[in-house]
Amino acid sequence: MTWNLKVLAASAAMAVGVASPGWAQVEVEWWDFLGGGDGVRMKALIEQFNNEHPDIQINATTLDWGQTFYTKVRTAVSVGEGPDVMTYHLSRLPLALEEGVLSPVTDEDMAAAGLSSSDFFDPAIAAASDQSGQLMAIPFDIHAIITYYNRSALEGTKWLDADGNLTNLNSVEDMTALLTWAKENGFSDPLSYQSEGGGGTWRIFYTLLRQQGGEMITDGEVLAGDNFDKAVRAIQIMADWRAAGLTPEQASYPASVALFVGGKSVLHINGVWEVPTFSDQSDAGTLGFEWFANEVPQLLDQPATWADSHSFAIPNDPDMSAETRAAVMTVIGWMEQHSLAWAGAGHIPAYRPTVESADYAQMQPNATYASLVASAAFDPRSKVAGVASPIYDAVNNMIAPAVSGFMGAEDAAAAMKDQLQALLN
Amino acid sequence: MSVAKRHKREVRSAYILVAPFVLVFAVFFLYPAIKVLILSFTNSPLIGDGDWVGFANYAKLLNDRLFYTSLWNNFYFVFLTVVPTTAIALLIALAVNTLKGRLQALVLTLFFLPYILPVSVVTLIWDWMFDFQFGVLQPLVALITGKPVPVFKNPYWVMPMIAVVTIWWTNGFNVLLLIAGLRNIPEDLYEAASLDGATIWQRFWRITWPLLWPVTALVLTLQLILQLKIFDQVFLLSEGGPFNRSYVILMQMYREGFQLNHGGYASAIAMVLFLIIVVVSILQYQLLRIGGRK
Repeated sequence: MTWNLKVLAASAAMAVGVASPGWAQVEVEWWDFLGGGDGVRMKALIEQFNNEHPDIQINATTLDWGQTFYTKVRTAVSVGEGPDVMTYHLSRLPLALEEGVLSPVTDEDMAAAGLSSSDFFDPAIAAASDQSGQLMAIPFDIHAIITYYNRSALEGTKWLDADGNLTNLNSVEDMTALLTWAKENGFSDPLSYQSEGGGGTWRIFYTLLRQQGGEMITDGEVLAGDNFDKAVRAIQIMADWRAAGLTPEQASYPASVALFVGGKSVLHINGVWEVPTFSDQSDAGTLGFEWFANEVPQLLDQPATWADSHSFAIPNDPDMSAETRAAVMTVIGWMEQHSLAWAGAGHIPAYRPTVESADYAQMQPNATYASLVASAAFDPRSKVAGVASPIYDAVNNMIAPAVSGFMGAEDAAAAMKDQLQALLN
Repeated sequence: MSVAKRHKREVRSAYILVAPFVLVFAVFFLYPAIKVLILSFTNSPLIGDGDWVGFANYAKLLNDRLFYTSLWNNFYFVFLTVVPTTAIALLIALAVNTLKGRLQALVLTLFFLPYILPVSVVTLIWDWMFDFQFGVLQPLVALITGKPVPVFKNPYWVMPMIAVVTIWWTNGFNVLLLIAGLRNIPEDLYEAASLDGATIWQRFWRITWPLLWPVTALVLTLQLILQLKIFDQVFLLSEGGPFNRSYVILMQMYREGFQLNHGGYASAIAMVLFLIIVVVSILQYQLLRIGGRK
């Protein structure tokens, strides 16, 4: 009887083993914050990875972007309930270092992934390292804001060159002239962006600040010296456009996209991640006009475009097994090598072999705007900066109201300086 | 069985019966509460231990301008919600009470429906309805004010509008409490009053109002405590802006604790809010009881 039971148990175990091929499968808990058009591409990549790797299974969870994501990461990691790998904004790295939530990426890790630091664009590696040069995350892309435009509407005007790219936009006045023309020609909100605050407002403000050579934080001081005046000017430019009805008032993020899609805006400044939104609609024939995107034109003294990086990071978990860690590195290496699909989400891969490939050169408008990497302006390296940082709160609280005309540009800049400085001291 | 023995037995079963509650209460409320009190005297980060700093956090809080802004906004919100929501709930309860049978159940359900929605859904609905470009309520706003208003981004509109959303969301529960109170008033009192020739108005002020007062006082107190703890709606609709016009105490606690990693300071803010709620609600309840006795 006992013998019979044993046989039964053994054969049952064998049957189960045969039924599921993933007997020795390693499960990788994955968290990301990719909810837009890029999230769809990432899910496809994950599915492809899972199909190609019977021994590794990625269990992906998509969480809300921003502060909620990073709050959850911090609390989960501190009690050992974090994921095995997660997406992380490199602008947020200074805060991550202070919180101690990341596990350093060693040379062995990189070797396990089949990667080396020299495979990546230098600014991305610099942003992914701590003060001592230790790599803390593996960059996946560089993403920035770009200018989406309604090519059909601009056809035949002086603002479009022979190749259909934007031209003759060399100053704020030039931009105002284009927008005024558009307003007179039936575009109710000629330049749409997320004007209610949040990321959209910060990215344009920071771009305008950096195009004047301004710095947000220098030696622990917020808007020191003439940086203050440059910040005031940046806010003033945005406020003037709003007052003239050239940009929408208090547009939420989805509303800003809808204004462009709905033909109410001729230009739309937003992150590269909206490329799939417009190309999908274009392919489906529902857009109703021809669109394209260029890097944000240089309107002030020097070229600059706000940029950030998505990276892969491993949370600090002393209990992580070597087996899981190896699996995580396999995942990261595979993702980097397949980052052409990620470029389809608009992002510029940080992995150079992808960007230098012939396939990438064929991708439009990606290959056209990839030139912005040369003047990419990353967020200041500070614990008050980066995604979902106090700077974002200050933007909602001060810059957006100033752009909407509830307070003066100078008052807003002064209030922001005070508020952020108090946090640094 | 001797009396002493029986008494002993009763005491034992009493202990056994209350033990589960006491245990759960101690583990999930008392222990964390004491921990917060201890934390508020330290400089600990959000997670992990810190050094004892005495009353430094409280001293810092008393000099924190943002704290006074938050406190002011909290009381402004209480002013905007507590009495209005109780008054509206009373009107609805009186109206619903005149209905009979299925119709009454249906109307009551309709008023209670928003209450079962999670706050995220509530704020999403209102955020969409008031969207500046595409919101369905903007034509209505334009009709009244002459132009569309970004209600959750406008320094004058933000708090009143969050109050409107909150009242819409939570009023059903108050209606329910007040209807229960109304049903407790014996019908014969109204019959006797009618025979004596009392008008509807007199019947309300002489019978309904005084007999309903204990429930009304309860609703007022519950609302006061609830509205002083305002956080979710502000966090989801306005994030405290524009220029801190909707910044509230729990918002400050959240930012200090979860964004800036100041666990000790955040605990001090929580303790001060706790004290404020205790003092104000005891004060209010006592005042209402005195008011009710007259």
